Amino acid sequence: MSTTRRHVLTALAGASLASALPFSAARAAGIAGAPGIFGKRQVKIALVRYLSTGDFFQFYLAGVTRQAAALGIDLHVLDSRQDAALQAEMLAQAMNMGVDGIILQHGLTETLKDPAARAVAEGFKVVAFDVNCENPKIPQIEQNDRELARLSLEQAIRDNGEAFKAGYVYVPGIAPLDRRDETWQAVKKKYPKIVEVARWGTMNNPIANSVADQTAAVLRANPDIKMIFAPFDEFAKGVKTAVDEAGLSKQIKIYSADISTPDISAMIEKDSAWSATTATNSAVVGEVCVRSLALLLAGIDPGREVVVPPTLITQAMLAEKGIKNMEELAAKIPQFSRAEVAMAPWIPEPKR
Amino acid sequence: MQTPSSVQTSPAPEPRRVSFSLKDFVIKFGLLVILAVMIVVFWRLEPAFGSARNMFSILQAVSVTALLALGVTVTLAIGGFDLSIGSTAAMSLMASSYVMVILDLGTLPAIAVCLFLGLAIGFANGMLIVKGRIPDLLATLGMMFLLLGLQLIPTGGRSIAKGMTLPSGGSAQGSFTETFLALGRYRVFDLIPLPVIVMIVAAILLWVFMERSRYGRVLYAIGGNEKATRLAGAPVERYKIAAYMISGGFASVGGMLLAARVGRGDVSSGSSLLLDSVAAALIGFAVLGAKKPNVFGTAIGALFVGTLLNGLTMLNAPYYAQDFVKGLVLVLALLFTFGFASSNHR
Repeated sequence: MSTTRRHVLTALAGASLASALPFSAARAAGIAGAPGIFGKRQVKIALVRYLSTGDFFQFYLAGVTRQAAALGIDLHVLDSRQDAALQAEMLAQAMNMGVDGIILQHGLTETLKDPAARAVAEGFKVVAFDVNCENPKIPQIEQNDRELARLSLEQAIRDNGEAFKAGYVYVPGIAPLDRRDETWQAVKKKYPKIVEVARWGTMNNPIANSVADQTAAVLRANPDIKMIFAPFDEFAKGVKTAVDEAGLSKQIKIYSADISTPDISAMIEKDSAWSATTATNSAVVGEVCVRSLALLLAGIDPGREVVVPPTLITQAMLAEKGIKNMEELAAKIPQFSRAEVAMAPWIPEPKR
Repeated sequence: MQTPSSVQTSPAPEPRRVSFSLKDFVIKFGLLVILAVMIVVFWRLEPAFGSARNMFSILQAVSVTALLALGVTVTLAIGGFDLSIGSTAAMSLMASSYVMVILDLGTLPAIAVCLFLGLAIGFANGMLIVKGRIPDLLATLGMMFLLLGLQLIPTGGRSIAKGMTLPSGGSAQGSFTETFLALGRYRVFDLIPLPVIVMIVAAILLWVFMERSRYGRVLYAIGGNEKATRLAGAPVERYKIAAYMISGGFASVGGMLLAARVGRGDVSSGSSLLLDSVAAALIGFAVLGAKKPNVFGTAIGALFVGTLLNGLTMLNAPYYAQDFVKGLVLVLALLFTFGFASSNHR
């Protein structure tokens, strides 16, 4: 079907169905000098999502969208809204649509493993973010949780020395938290004078409130805690609430992982106990997902695991640069706004 | 001259007659025409839409919803309503996972437990309505909440996955069997998904039951005039309980197919089932001008919603636009059923 005819039909349907539907603009030509199919024609990919609500996922989509636009890719977003069976159906639908490549974003291994294997067997290029499809031909894009914990803990040691009493918030059985826990165990082994005097944690909703209640009890029992490691921002929020209520915000320092605009607000409060956090910008992760898929489509192996490096964010950095929200954070801390991962000369960097 | 709308034999070619038959045509075939137009438009815009594989993708996507919708159609036929179908399906999903992953009992016990639970829930609904004299909507609403909580009690609110840590401290030994997973995943001739076949067979059986057997006629009679049906000697209470058991049974089969597709006792799966299947059954009222719950209409209604969502997804419409269009279709279908129909009888 010719492009013009398609446009006419698109316009007609747009008028008759729902005029506000965002149809992607066709871009028939490929990128000059790019390898594989990118040099020949427009590439079509699908992002098949499991999770989509919240800051993290909005920024992720923004990253995917802008990197796809920079590559002239026709991007289709299929959002299953936390419905595992629907996500499997959407993966099948993406295949029916004849896309060139597919990004799987979160999901259940049990549900996606079979259809993902089928997609690979039929010649589709697939990459996956934070969901293990147990398939060697599907590159895994992930944030480096061990590194995330390491950067926060190194900052804690710089701030507090190598000997202090610590509290630790942890719930076992959740993959990213388990990986972060490995680093904490290693740090304790390396610095025997860092003593974990209390450990607590819960995933009961609302998480921050439940953790605050637990923390209040822990602080009464252990008034000599100097540092609390809470490697998940919902944990850190709860810990900070309890520390503030106990009037200990000047004695205790909190170190965490992840970041959001409310987290930044909590960190930059006067005398905030929340000293530092380490995070990956999910928008950058989105860009890396598209670039990894682009490499795969061009016949270049991005590697079995593509790791997006995290950035340390301290209270001092935020205060010094006057950062109050995520947008300013990305704009003012360069290493947070881009990652030198899955790059190639023919892949243009997106406008941020 | 007052002509009843159903009389179509008048040979006199008056202008009034022409407008009447146009209206009849719209009421009878309006929704089918829209479905056909929709398919053609999607096909022209996105040639991949019309491939055989995509057609079966649509059918697979609606199979679970359609099973639930077929069940609820029976309760609608007796003038009732079953709001607990979504949570019955979710219960069946969790129960089958529990039997296989935690109790490690295998495929057949899992299926048996699910079917038993579905029928038992339907029986309980029926008893609440018939003996407890609770209005249908309220009884099944109560059952819905009850099940939403009950399904999470055995696992302490968590999803059931292979090797999970149990509240008692040990870890789960079992796993989903290959046979059970095949219920949701196997494709006949590498093309037709098994759930689609289950759905079509269930729809045909239920159609025969409702439209061609005397049981079906009694069920519709109860919906039309319960008192008259009772006076005519039919055991209305038993029929009502049976209707809810059919609904519960269909919902539990739907939940099993969902479990086989997901491969995990996932607590968030099945949350959208209730609204989608009720929508399918209500859209079904308008098919062929039936103006009442009917099996064929429900099947078309489910297909209608599935086609719409598949096509809009291909055209890159975001999910909120899809929800909007889904609502719009439902409102239009209800207008076909009630608005046009009532003005016709005036």
